[in-house]
Amino acid sequence: MDTLDLVWLIPALPLAGFVVLLVLGRRLGEPAAGWLATAACSSAFLATVVVFAALIGEDQHHRSHVYDLFTWLQVGGFDVKLGFLADPLSITMALFITGIGTLIHMYSIGYMHGDPKFSKFFVYLNLFVFSMLMLVLGSNMLVTFLGWEGVGACSYFLISFWFSKDANASAGKKAFITNRIGDWGFMTAMFLTFATVGSLDYSVVLERAPEMAPVTATGIALLLFVGAVGKSAQLPLFVWLPDAMAGPTPVSALIHAATMVTSGVYLMTRVNPILAQGYDWGPDTIAWVGVITALFAATIAVAQTDIKKVLAYSTISQLGYMFLAVGTGAYVAAIFHMVTHAFFKALMFLGSGSVIHGMHDEQDMRRMGGLRKLMPITAGTFIVGWLAISGVPPFSGFWSKDEILLFAYDRSPALWFVGLVTALLTAFYMSRQVFMVFFGEERWREAADAEAPRDARRPHEAPWVMTLPLVVLAGLAMVGGGLNLPFTSDLHFLENWLEPVIEGNERVIDVATGTKVGLAVIAILAGLAGIALAARVYLHKKLRAIEPEILLEGWRFDSSIAVFMGGPGQRGFDGVAAFDTTVIDGAVNGVAGAVSGGGKGLRFLQSGFVRSYALGVAVGVVGLLAYFLTRSGI
Amino acid sequence: MLLTLLSQPIDDAPVPVASVNVAWSAVAPILALVGGALLLLAADSLTARPLRKGVYALWTTLTAGVAIGAAVPLWDRVQDVDRGPFSTLGTAVGVDGFSVFATFTICAAVILGALLLDDWLRREGMEGSEPYVLMLLSASGGLMMASANDLIVMFLGLEILSIAVYVLAAMHLRKVTSQEAGVKYFVLGAFSSAFFLYGIALTYGGTGTTNLVEISSFLSTTVLADTGLVLAGLALLLVGFAFKVAAVPFHFWTPDVYQGAPSPSVAWMASGVKVAGFAGLLRVFYLAFGTYSADWQPIVYAVAAITMVVGSVLAVVQTDVKRMLAYSSINHAGFVLVAVQAASAQGVEAALFYLAAYTFMVAGSFGIVTVVGRRGDIGHGLDDYRGLSRDRPVLAFAFALFLFAQAGVPLTSGFFAKFYVITAAVDAGSTWLAVIAMLTAVVAAFLYLRIIVSMFMSVEDAGEPRTIRVPFAAGLALLVCLVVTLGAGLFPGTLASAAKDATPVLVLEPVGLPPIDPGATPVP
Amino acid sequence: MVGFVLAAEAGHAVASSPLTAAIVVPFIGAVVVSLIPKGRTELHRLVALLFSVGSGAITLWLLAAFETGDAGFQFEVNRTWIADFGISWHLGIDGISLFLVVLSGLLFPLAIIAVTPHHDPKPYYAWLLVLQGGCMGVFCALDLFLFFVMFEIVLVPMYFLIGGWGYAERVYAALKFFIFTMLGSALMLVGIVSLAFLHRDGVAADNEAEAAVIEDVVLQAQQEAAATGGIDVDTQAAIDQDLARVDELRNPPLDFDLVEIAESQHLADTSTSSNPFDWSAVRWIFLAFAVAFAVKVPLFPLHTWLPDAHTQAPTAGSVILAGVMLKLGTYGFVRFGLYLFPEASVYFAPALVTLGVIGIIYGAVVATMQRDLKRLVAYSSVAHLGFIVLGTFALTTQGIEGGVMQMVNHGISTGALFLLVGMIYERRHTREISALKGLQKSAPVMAGVFTLVMLSSIGLPGLNGFAGEFLILIGSFLTRRWFTVVAAVGVILAALYLLWAYQRVFHGEPDEENANMPDMTWREGLVMAPLLGLIVFLGVYPKPMLDRIEPAVARLVSHIEEHSDYIEPAVATAGPGEPADEAEAPEEEAP
Repeated sequence: MDTLDLVWLIPALPLAGFVVLLVLGRRLGEPAAGWLATAACSSAFLATVVVFAALIGEDQHHRSHVYDLFTWLQVGGFDVKLGFLADPLSITMALFITGIGTLIHMYSIGYMHGDPKFSKFFVYLNLFVFSMLMLVLGSNMLVTFLGWEGVGACSYFLISFWFSKDANASAGKKAFITNRIGDWGFMTAMFLTFATVGSLDYSVVLERAPEMAPVTATGIALLLFVGAVGKSAQLPLFVWLPDAMAGPTPVSALIHAATMVTSGVYLMTRVNPILAQGYDWGPDTIAWVGVITALFAATIAVAQTDIKKVLAYSTISQLGYMFLAVGTGAYVAAIFHMVTHAFFKALMFLGSGSVIHGMHDEQDMRRMGGLRKLMPITAGTFIVGWLAISGVPPFSGFWSKDEILLFAYDRSPALWFVGLVTALLTAFYMSRQVFMVFFGEERWREAADAEAPRDARRPHEAPWVMTLPLVVLAGLAMVGGGLNLPFTSDLHFLENWLEPVIEGNERVIDVATGTKVGLAVIAILAGLAGIALAARVYLHKKLRAIEPEILLEGWRFDSSIAVFMGGPGQRGFDGVAAFDTTVIDGAVNGVAGAVSGGGKGLRFLQSGFVRSYALGVAVGVVGLLAYFLTRSGI
Repeated sequence: MLLTLLSQPIDDAPVPVASVNVAWSAVAPILALVGGALLLLAADSLTARPLRKGVYALWTTLTAGVAIGAAVPLWDRVQDVDRGPFSTLGTAVGVDGFSVFATFTICAAVILGALLLDDWLRREGMEGSEPYVLMLLSASGGLMMASANDLIVMFLGLEILSIAVYVLAAMHLRKVTSQEAGVKYFVLGAFSSAFFLYGIALTYGGTGTTNLVEISSFLSTTVLADTGLVLAGLALLLVGFAFKVAAVPFHFWTPDVYQGAPSPSVAWMASGVKVAGFAGLLRVFYLAFGTYSADWQPIVYAVAAITMVVGSVLAVVQTDVKRMLAYSSINHAGFVLVAVQAASAQGVEAALFYLAAYTFMVAGSFGIVTVVGRRGDIGHGLDDYRGLSRDRPVLAFAFALFLFAQAGVPLTSGFFAKFYVITAAVDAGSTWLAVIAMLTAVVAAFLYLRIIVSMFMSVEDAGEPRTIRVPFAAGLALLVCLVVTLGAGLFPGTLASAAKDATPVLVLEPVGLPPIDPGATPVP
Repeated sequence: MVGFVLAAEAGHAVASSPLTAAIVVPFIGAVVVSLIPKGRTELHRLVALLFSVGSGAITLWLLAAFETGDAGFQFEVNRTWIADFGISWHLGIDGISLFLVVLSGLLFPLAIIAVTPHHDPKPYYAWLLVLQGGCMGVFCALDLFLFFVMFEIVLVPMYFLIGGWGYAERVYAALKFFIFTMLGSALMLVGIVSLAFLHRDGVAADNEAEAAVIEDVVLQAQQEAAATGGIDVDTQAAIDQDLARVDELRNPPLDFDLVEIAESQHLADTSTSSNPFDWSAVRWIFLAFAVAFAVKVPLFPLHTWLPDAHTQAPTAGSVILAGVMLKLGTYGFVRFGLYLFPEASVYFAPALVTLGVIGIIYGAVVATMQRDLKRLVAYSSVAHLGFIVLGTFALTTQGIEGGVMQMVNHGISTGALFLLVGMIYERRHTREISALKGLQKSAPVMAGVFTLVMLSSIGLPGLNGFAGEFLILIGSFLTRRWFTVVAAVGVILAALYLLWAYQRVFHGEPDEENANMPDMTWREGLVMAPLLGLIVFLGVYPKPMLDRIEPAVARLVSHIEEHSDYIEPAVATAGPGEPADEAEAPEEEAP
């Protein structure tokens, strides 16, 4: 067991990195700070590998180990330890978080080169990795929540990293607050859980889930899903993610593609027994929200012109797929797609980053084109990612997406169909991006010639610290599918590995092999169709591009919210504030006024004339006499 | 048993006919004051030039001191279980803890008044013995009221007290407002005294006696077919006292008189005269008409409520400090009435404590007013206190303390006084009156805070610094007030137990009071 | 003279009891400071700091010496003060008051170090010390009269601090503050007195049986005596003695001792009717107390004195006002509301919880729209204290304990916020949010500190604010489910108004006068350091604190259960292992 106890090291190392950088960061400067951070992250990766190995050593059904560091909050029956849970699911997450994290740290050294706040950036980055690891390794909901909010805060810091631009600042704030709305759900879910089973430890909660009343279970599940919707940018709370692209590109890759945004999927997978205990409409809701988000985001991605916005919407869409999987009980598929997606999406974000870097902070795809000659490595790796996401076998994306669609089909063909359409669109808009950026005529020239001398503006390949991660990720994106090959059950590495976590709650599908193959073929065709279509439009210019305004503006979803908030919302708030000053404070001052008013009113009695005073006395006399005589009964 | 004790001469040796047995020691304080006054008058009129400065005040102080000294053995005597209270002058004067306590308080007020007068008279250029003489005489009247055991004596005391005070009010020769104040006070005072006298007559008609003890024994032993006469008398007696203590609606004279009269005289009026008035009121109502408390309690309740409200509310809108304090004194009178209406031992204790504490608070306050005021006894506007904290921080702090004490802020005698009164009221079941009282206290607090604001918080818009001289005598008086106000606030135990000892002999068990149920719905 | 009295008192007080010392030392300090000649400015500051720190050190010693497991009152002293009224100098602290005392001991010295008055340092420091003594006294007092005295006396120094050293509207704010709070406590005084009499009557009723027995004995003795003819002296003596005893049994003395009254519970309210006119006295008395506390908290709609007072007060004043004085209300609710009036508390809990929740949302919404940074923080206090009231009247261990913890947390984080706002004001001479911009560029360190404090105030897990807030919510969810669900929305709003304010003040491109605003000085950093340390420590490892609070709270809850029909949900005490449908129950249980 002792090796498993080392699990606490995994988050501890990045935390140490964070503290050191916080104190010494400035002094270390560039690039030392960056390398230190990378070291912290990679050592966390090694630690994870060690734990992973130890876990494999265990018998399959005892692959769950809790290690409590100390008591965090304990009052009466409410007892929460700061504890870590090492089991297949958490370690899988930890592996690719630290792994990809390391690559992106390294990449950032190049990307953030020359930034005045170079070391600060890595401070946040390490803090983020720490929080993310707390999220996945927490042995109870509250520690998960600790990480959950931690990553939220980090993404806030990193999105508004270049805070002097108001847009960035607003984007960061927007991300945090939108996430908070989700967190409300998470918190309420915890209250309900504690009220029901009297504990927040996964060990207790999940084990006692079958005792829960279905209504309670559904309630908890959906409240958690509200949290997930916020964190994983699903409808209707996805609005923060596109804006979040304001942050430095490595951040987009790490936080807003590979890790943080997937934590919702992780959470739902973690609590799968509760989902299973609830009514069926619970998971269905999740599935439908997922698939609709997927389609919705895909349609928007079709018309985006900002190289990162395309990827952002594509991320939302892919996350939709994952929730579709969760909703249909395909937890393995969900995790599987999460991992593969982490590979290829991080890859493409970093690629876009290197493009932006090479294009001197140009993000508009309409000013790019033909870059494959100038930045071959970036182009090559990006293309790998493109094929992977478009579901072209044997690239990783194909396998995971295919499995999700299979489960969806088994649940309801409707789900499957929407998923399929989305797949087609995905292939289309990704191809569109690739063609616009790396092929076609070099539109960047006229943009460039306008300003500075030619060679200065000439796009260039990124330094090795940036390209190396690209290459590694490309490799992973290529072979990632190997994690879980559908052919024979002993090739289901991931499924067998995760089995103890989702025991019995994974959907068992009865689809004939023929059908499976059929579905796979249809999916492939859809992907190819998308690519072909895009080629005709953007490569050969045979068809006119259809990019309506409304799609570019994301169905005006975000803007209409903004309009509401700026209009009725703000007016309502102002109204309350006005109410406070006029009505409530007015009442207070009113009382005071009334008193002094009364005083002024009574003043006339004090006329200064003896006669009126005497009158007063007389009145008093009469009054007293009257009273006493009535007393005496006259 | 107690009453008979009171009604008999102490030593029951065979008494020669047609001669009144007099225990001179019992009336020593009164005699001391009167004698002191006459001597001072004589000395002043015999010497050609006015005596050296400060002598008058010193003499007055000594006289009052002697009176106090004479009262001390009386206190010991009445507290002595074996001997206890007694009456003399053919039961016309009763000596008990209550009267002695009142004596102490009144004499203290005299001393404070004298100390304040001293320099003020010189400042106003009217150095002379008359004010002191008048004060001493009025004080003797006060003592008479406090120990009167007979309505006639009570009236005598009342008149001696009042007439002297009328003159004190009108004393400032070069100030028309002072004269006006004197006249107003005199006319209205005479008016109410008339009622008082008539009240005595009716009471005599109703009960056949003017002796308090006999009245009470008569009322407690005989059941009257028709109480009309007695109650009418009671009503008119109440008028007389209510006027002296400035209870609404007999208060109208107060603001004008307080504002117009010389500040030191006002200090005396607000302290000594009020004490005397309440002493008389308590004596008559508790001792003589205790059996009828069921009849007078409700109306006192009502008067108390109105008095507090009017006093506090009207105070808020004033801008002249003396006038403000006048209204606040009305509010305080209301508070004492709250204690009175309790018609219980605690009521009397509370009243006595309140009066004693208030004497020093108010004397201190008017002392400050006296010192801060300019030649011609002017400059009492709120604005004249601007920046006092800058010019004379200690003086400002002292005033603030007196004001907070009047507002009833803890750790001052004023707070415990209010607390005592509230306790008595709640114990008597008049919880809602207690609530009203506290609310008016809050309203009144606003007025005290206004004065403090202009002293402490409007320094910048105050004019150029002015030098305010604090003469030794006045300073001494202020110091005494300060010490007592704080001391009685921090450790009220001593004064409280003194007030406790001062009462029991006076009180008849109140009859027909509703059962005590604090917190229940209001009594009336 | 006063100085002598205090000095004498202090003499054996310090020797006899640390609590008395902690209270008296600042008062002496005030006297000493006011005796120092006006010119010696630096000396005033030094002496004030000396006494303030002295008192603070004593509180730290208390913290160290505190018996963790003990639910009762510790370091008790009980000296008769005013014998005739059964009033005594009765002090003692338990887990509930301990940390508030320590907080006062910490914040006052910090406030003195952090801020130097612009004029008249002498009275400034004197008043500050008086204030410290008063605050200490409130949290230590176990005698209703003494408590009231302290509760009321703190108004005076705060009144002078606001009115004397505040900003433009200071006089209005000071008057409003004084009158408003005095109005509340005026009623409480009547309540206290009524309570004492109620208790006395209760005792008398208990004694009646005994008295009757003795009376019979006396009667028999007299009859025998009559039969035998003549009473011999010592029988007579015995009889007299008995009669005296009967008398004192029938009229027991007044007593203002909190513990005495609360434990004997002669006030159990029999009337269950909801019609105010047949409420028994106890409920009215509770209301009298409740109003006084509600004003101090402040509870909606009695809160409007707070934004004015906070905004106009000098920085130190705001820090103390928010950090310590607002707690007088919530502490009063816990210590006096729940402890003295279990039944009434349960009866009025729904109303108070409703007001608390309204406060949470309302305060946050109004805070969002403020243009003045200080005013914004002030309104945020309304929201935060709403949480505490919610937790307190949820009547569960978690809720109350969370409330107690949150009192301290709010003191730390809001105190820190006011210090920061004060620093900004000192540099820029404005609190207008619109006038500030991009300060993070010119003052990164200050921005970092502000961020941490802000996150603690928002309730980010791992920082102190979260621990308290979460305990409150999870505790109140057990008995007040829907209120809690609404209250949790306040968590979102907190992020809204604080982040928005932060963005407008610290983000963006600074214009020239913001661009060259100096960053934190070392002294300021030194002041903030302990607060930041606590923010993190209490967030990560609150156990030591909770362990000390818990026994007292548990005792309080069982006290309530014992004297009312309220039953705490089992899950709150037992934790896991309960039947699954436990959660459904509380809704009905909540009266």
